[in-house]
Amino acid sequence: MTGDPSDNPAPQPPPLPPVIPPGWNAGPGEAPPVIAPERVAPAAALFEGRLHPMTLAFSTWAVVQKFIIPFIVVLFLGRNQSFSALFFLLLLIIPIAVAVIRYFTFTYRIENGELVTAEGLFGRTERNIPLSRVQDIRIEQGLLHRLFDMADVRIETAGGRGPEASLSVLAKPEAERLRAAIFEQVSIARGTSPATQPQPVSQGHVIRTLSVRELVVAGLTSNQMASVLALLAVGFSLVDDLLPETAAERIGATLGRMAEELFSQGLETHWVQLLAGAFLLVAMGMIFSVTGSILLFYQFTLVRNGEDLHRSFGLLTRRSSSLPRRRIQVLKIEEKMLRRLFHLATLRADTAGSRPDQGEGGTSGHDVLLPAVPRDEVEQMLPEFFPDFERSEAEWKRVSRRAIRRGTAKGSLVCLVLAWGLWTVQEHWIALWPLALIPLVFVLNVLSYRHLGYWMGERFFCTRRGWLSRATHIVPIRNTQAVVIRQTPFDRRHRVATLIVDTAGQANTGGGPRIDNLPWNEALTVARTLARRAAETRYRWKDQADARPTLSHQQAQRFESPS
Amino acid sequence: MDNYPTQPVHPPVSPEAGEPGGPEFLPLDPQVITLWRIQQLIGSAVLMGVLLIPLFVLVANVRGAFLPAAALWILIGLFRAFTFFWYPPRAYRAWGYRIDGKVLETRSGVWFRVVQLLPLSRLQHVDLHRGPIERSLGLASLSLHTAGTVQSAISIPGLEAGLATRLRDQLAAIGGDDAV
Repeated sequence: MTGDPSDNPAPQPPPLPPVIPPGWNAGPGEAPPVIAPERVAPAAALFEGRLHPMTLAFSTWAVVQKFIIPFIVVLFLGRNQSFSALFFLLLLIIPIAVAVIRYFTFTYRIENGELVTAEGLFGRTERNIPLSRVQDIRIEQGLLHRLFDMADVRIETAGGRGPEASLSVLAKPEAERLRAAIFEQVSIARGTSPATQPQPVSQGHVIRTLSVRELVVAGLTSNQMASVLALLAVGFSLVDDLLPETAAERIGATLGRMAEELFSQGLETHWVQLLAGAFLLVAMGMIFSVTGSILLFYQFTLVRNGEDLHRSFGLLTRRSSSLPRRRIQVLKIEEKMLRRLFHLATLRADTAGSRPDQGEGGTSGHDVLLPAVPRDEVEQMLPEFFPDFERSEAEWKRVSRRAIRRGTAKGSLVCLVLAWGLWTVQEHWIALWPLALIPLVFVLNVLSYRHLGYWMGERFFCTRRGWLSRATHIVPIRNTQAVVIRQTPFDRRHRVATLIVDTAGQANTGGGPRIDNLPWNEALTVARTLARRAAETRYRWKDQADARPTLSHQQAQRFESPS
Repeated sequence: MDNYPTQPVHPPVSPEAGEPGGPEFLPLDPQVITLWRIQQLIGSAVLMGVLLIPLFVLVANVRGAFLPAAALWILIGLFRAFTFFWYPPRAYRAWGYRIDGKVLETRSGVWFRVVQLLPLSRLQHVDLHRGPIERSLGLASLSLHTAGTVQSAISIPGLEAGLATRLRDQLAAIGGDDAV
């Protein structure tokens, strides 16, 4: 699906770049904007470069880091020391040689609207990445990188599993220059007037920064108990590994004696100890998550610079990411239980290139657009991400009221089964306590029904669900890849169905919008309208006037809770 | 495969495309019932064969297990036989597709109903598949791929081979070039 012959206009001399900008999309009867050739990238490379010489030092260090511990161990504990030293040196030489070859052969350049990387000594590999397909540019600086003002650059497109181009390492200014050049080229290729071309980062429009206080709150409200437990488990296994077996046995015996004493002292002390333990665990969890939050997101800034949404954050490792805002496929406003209590929301965005984080040291923070901001601010920010976000007065629509009945029936069934199970264990009226939960189940279902809804405008489709923890999805309708309606036999009894809007890349937002218990006919109408609008609007984005509409009061209210 | 017929497969699209009064749903080729039955038969044979293994193990180890196990095996076989006759015609009747403006809409499913709508401009690529059984029946199936995550491919089984080829070209032509 790369070239529709009917779209191709007047013939063009072969060596020149295409007259139609890569991202341009022809509507019916519209003439393609012919761009003066001198404004398009000339045939000669605009931007050329190689890895920084520090690459050699960095890759050597990375290799040494990997081998240093086994090397020391072998050197001091091994019998044939000179032999093993030689062996390790040989092991070291191979990856270092690879790095050296990479440094001397790797080149990159921007020409004809493409980023071209080339490497290889004997077999040269050239990779051309059309700039209009770039989804995300990430610049990462570890501590060592910052010491020498170096950076890793990763460029992602929609294809493949990892970054399409990984430039490691470049000097930091060079990395920034490359990033700017890519964005500039994209906008030139798209025929934007020079006035709206991206300016240097410093001149961008700051959407939001996060203070340390906010990061502390964000850390306190994040659910990191699981990580604490994991940490404890690691600690125990470490203790298990490090201590000789006799010591472990002795500790085990001591613990056993302590437990016995506790029991002999009666239950009260036992409970106190348990409570203290739980408190300790929670406190540890808090410290852990606050530290994590600050380490990861220190000095978080979200800047919009033309079309580029630029995030930078991190205390030790500085990360930055450039995301063209038109690449956002789905935006999710996430309010997990704790955060919802504090009226905080997390923004997540997916591009077609999003894929689950697979960094070794846990999350790299790239999956969130904004870690935690007050919920009321989100509405004011939406036009920053979606410049054409509508000022429609449309209200949230609810699903079928049968959702309450079905949910309550389902919950009651669980309660009944539980009560029955307990009854068979012990025939005592206390065993029937799950039945007392049924009214609560009903209330919960009513609440979640009232918070479940969808909203469809001319250009956007939104859904929201959940009462305790809430998720609001916003999808520009042009990003719809398919609409699916599913109806189970149970659904059919109630004449309802589930509507799913499918988009590209849903790794960060955890699935796109999905609405259950929608009346069948309504589902069909909504689905057909969505599909038709998607088919009629262009998916590939065209530059619009850089207007930022402000939100009306009603529109801001649309995202508040209905109660 | 060289000279595709150029006339459209479908009647011209009504102006109120997308509304319930759009074009009629088109059925699959009736031969698909035979195809599904053959596929079900092969599946059943494999399943019943595999189920024989635990049956033998059970019978060899547990005294008096033969009758209930055999009864269960026969019951499963009977159920498969029932669905062999009952299911395919209903699945055939439930299946329909139409091109409504720039949207392909399919509906299918007897117990679990599914409606899929694909804006054709989001089509990434189309696979035309012809297995040995399909070939002997003169059928082909289309897989329409999008860049989506939940439902990245929509397939239309059991089309008459020539129609499938024409449909494929028509779908791509309607879609134009607007994918990721």
